[in-house]
Amino acid sequence: MTNEAMLQIARNAVSLAKQKGAAEVAAVARMKRDVDVTWRDGKLEKITEATSRGLEVRLYVDGRYSTCSTSDLRPEGLTSFLDNAIGLTRTLAKDPHRSLPDPALYSKATPEGLSMADPKIESITALDLRRTAQSMEEAARSVKGSEAILSVTTNGYHSWNETTQVHSNGLEASFAGTEFSISADVSIKDDDGRRPEEGEYAWVRVYADLPDAAAVGRRATERALARRGAKKAPSSVMPVLIDNRAAGRFLSYLLRPLTGAALQQKRSFFEGLVGKPFGSDKLDFADDPLLPKGLGTRPFDGEGLAARRMPLFEKGVLKNHYVDTYYGKKLSMAPTTGGSTNIAWKLGPKTQAALALDVKEGLLVTSFLGGNSNDATGDFSLGVQGFVIRGGKIAEPIAEMNVSGRHVDVWKRLIAVGNDPFAYAASRTPTLVFDGMQVAGT
Amino acid sequence: MGHDLRMNRRQFIEMGASSIAAASASGFLLGCAGQALEKPTTAAVVPSADAPRVSYFTRFGVDEGMIRDGLADALSRGADHADLFFQHRVSNGLQLEDGEVNRAYTRVELGVGVRVVRGDQTGYAYTEELTREAIKRAAQTAAAVADGPARPGPTALAVGAALPQRYTLDVPWDGIKPAQKLPILDGVNAAIFKMDGRIKKVSVFFADEAGAILIADSQGRLVEDFQPMTLLYVSCVAEQGGRKETNGYNVAGRRGFDFYSPETVGRVVREAVARTTVLFDAVPAPAGEMPVVLAAGSSGILLHEAIGHGMEADFNRKGTSIYADKIGKPIAQPFVNIVDDAAQPHARGAINVDDEGNPAGTTTLVDKGVLATYMHDSISAKHYGLKPTGNGRRQSYQHPPMPRMRATYMLPGPHEHDEIVASVKRGIYCQSFSNGQVQIGAGDFTFYVKNGFLIEDGKLTRPIKDVNIIGNGPRVLERIDMVGKDLVIDEGGWTCGKDVQSVPVSQGIPTVRVSSITVGGQGGTQGAKANAKG
Repeated sequence: MTNEAMLQIARNAVSLAKQKGAAEVAAVARMKRDVDVTWRDGKLEKITEATSRGLEVRLYVDGRYSTCSTSDLRPEGLTSFLDNAIGLTRTLAKDPHRSLPDPALYSKATPEGLSMADPKIESITALDLRRTAQSMEEAARSVKGSEAILSVTTNGYHSWNETTQVHSNGLEASFAGTEFSISADVSIKDDDGRRPEEGEYAWVRVYADLPDAAAVGRRATERALARRGAKKAPSSVMPVLIDNRAAGRFLSYLLRPLTGAALQQKRSFFEGLVGKPFGSDKLDFADDPLLPKGLGTRPFDGEGLAARRMPLFEKGVLKNHYVDTYYGKKLSMAPTTGGSTNIAWKLGPKTQAALALDVKEGLLVTSFLGGNSNDATGDFSLGVQGFVIRGGKIAEPIAEMNVSGRHVDVWKRLIAVGNDPFAYAASRTPTLVFDGMQVAGT
Repeated sequence: MGHDLRMNRRQFIEMGASSIAAASASGFLLGCAGQALEKPTTAAVVPSADAPRVSYFTRFGVDEGMIRDGLADALSRGADHADLFFQHRVSNGLQLEDGEVNRAYTRVELGVGVRVVRGDQTGYAYTEELTREAIKRAAQTAAAVADGPARPGPTALAVGAALPQRYTLDVPWDGIKPAQKLPILDGVNAAIFKMDGRIKKVSVFFADEAGAILIADSQGRLVEDFQPMTLLYVSCVAEQGGRKETNGYNVAGRRGFDFYSPETVGRVVREAVARTTVLFDAVPAPAGEMPVVLAAGSSGILLHEAIGHGMEADFNRKGTSIYADKIGKPIAQPFVNIVDDAAQPHARGAINVDDEGNPAGTTTLVDKGVLATYMHDSISAKHYGLKPTGNGRRQSYQHPPMPRMRATYMLPGPHEHDEIVASVKRGIYCQSFSNGQVQIGAGDFTFYVKNGFLIEDGKLTRPIKDVNIIGNGPRVLERIDMVGKDLVIDEGGWTCGKDVQSVPVSQGIPTVRVSSITVGGQGGTQGAKANAKG
């Protein structure tokens, strides 16, 4: 289905809903085409290829609000869908805080140079992805020590997404984006019967930014082999480095309570902290939806608000929240945007290896396993695996351990950040160094 | 794709309203409410010679000719098996916040997935257009996984034996008006504020779902099932002396409106308040290895993570599970018996038939301490030369099936609850949980405890909260050294994630003792070390 067809569907939904009695309407039509090829141990494992589409409609009826979505875009389906949704909306309580956004905040024109969609995707077939996946496996098996490998699974994926948004108070906008990813996962046999698995991946907007597939395959095996003999270490309080690839998960527990919804519902340990110091001066980043080729890049947000860069922490001081139109009204705060996009960190000067040298003795966390964080209090407890840092060097692997603390304390002990933003996630985290965290093991 | 592509590939379980949205999410993220668009004939479908063989989906123009054409194209390059999975699902949500039910969500999913299987290789495609041409195109795309001569499709399609009726409703969800549901949300809100003055915020989410699936495969089987679901999720924020705490309670199942009796709603209110306000008395949990007692019920999360995922046969046929070479071997005490059960009436994890059209019953994972059977879909069953166990499940028509859990629980054992608690000198008692995760190959797993108690000298003393527990599957199963008689299958709204697909599940367990496992508290190691032996 073409972009023009999706625009027509969104326009029709808006005019139909207005005819049926909605005072205001927002319609978002989305189309996605993706190809996903998995290769395992010398042959094709799975191939999925599809184009899907859907429509989301937000209805403002007699001072009441509801939102509905459907994948049934037949005209007769849409008519009864809107009839039912408007009928339902009328049964709800009125909500004076609900409205479409202020049109002055809408996206006027798509900013230039975002490089979100790569036309190269048209020329890449499922067969190309299959060849890439196959070559990753061959590379994974070429690494010294590969006789310990039990299984190699590799994957090539790409998708084309289009979002078209029409609001009854004067918005018509759309954008398209592409994503390309490759990954390799390697399982190996360990002496104690464990079968540790590790992997490597890349995820980008523009095809030319994908790294060499063979290097990804080799790195997956190297990572898996490094997990052999992983043991639990004793419990203690020690310096903790969080690897740049793993740090996005830790950061997410800081971003979650930054929303207006969390604030207004008293589910945020950031309540009353705007303009106040929260972390050390190394805690310094902005939300940047306009970063060229960024995985979180978008010209406007889910409400149609024009994207703009927003400082979140400057030298440890909280500067802003993610506030949408609704919770902005409830909180009497100006809306910013509803959620995170790309995170642009103020980076440090050092590599991870140099940071480990500075720390001398501690723990390098390379991935988290489960755990959670309490948004209201900031208590967290997270499973980890990684490596011991001894004499400033990365030493033996550890597993089945846990870190815990409170965000309000721990971020004050952020003593360094690396120069290594992780390119394959929107959170773009560098290596983070905390000078004392409770670690549980034996 | 979410922001963290990799996280989605991991195996996890979580609970709550957000997971409900995820459970029916399929590309277009949106929850939603309203009336069902089409009226599902949820009354029991009794197949008979003259019954229309495609019944529900005829309203969308689906007929046997269209199905046979699709299957023929799916088999056009040769294959061992092909199937079409039609789905229509209408999900409704109502939410109360700040005292008013002032938002509703409706989501309609309609589409068909085409799968082509050759050996253990899968080709998959789907479309939202239920037309002959669109289905043929999807089938041709899926067929690309094979490269041989065409195979003939089934000459006739036939409905098999009647399915079990594990979740038939007296009144289907599309027969319940929104105005009937609203008083439940308002009532919960009022009762919670009345019960405890420390409660400052209450959020109530009410969800119901009416769904139909139709599976047609290359053997000529035609299977139709209707799968209702509901959930009531309550979350509270309380304040005391400048401190805030948040927690809640939820109930779920393949149940109808009559589930929400005064008893059920009262239990939700009491539990939500008690589980939140007790947190003000919590002391920091210890850090390190110690004995842990798991309360009967939602502690079944231990089984889901420690053994459930590792027993899904896809990981074993690939040799990547820590259980890959352990069938027939003792892995736990002889009083440990663990099953994965599709047949619990009205359970969230119950199914009448799996998403490949195979019968779904009770699969014994551990029999008297011995590892017994993996959970199979048809691909893994063929690989092992076994019958499928009815564990082939999928999130929606947008996804191919794979081995998944249903309701996973441990059978009752020989010990008394009080005897188990009294046996621990210093340790912790875990009562409620929010989420868990596992690494299939290394066997390491975690689960996050929202409510618990310290055990001191054989007694539950001070409450604890927000602590993650981490262990290794086989080692923890070996260390389950006491099992109570008090099996409870949890009524909560659990959702299991695996390889980007979410499905509803249940879990349960009697009170059990694990002699030693790592507790990730903030309270330091003092006192914990001396008691590591239990």
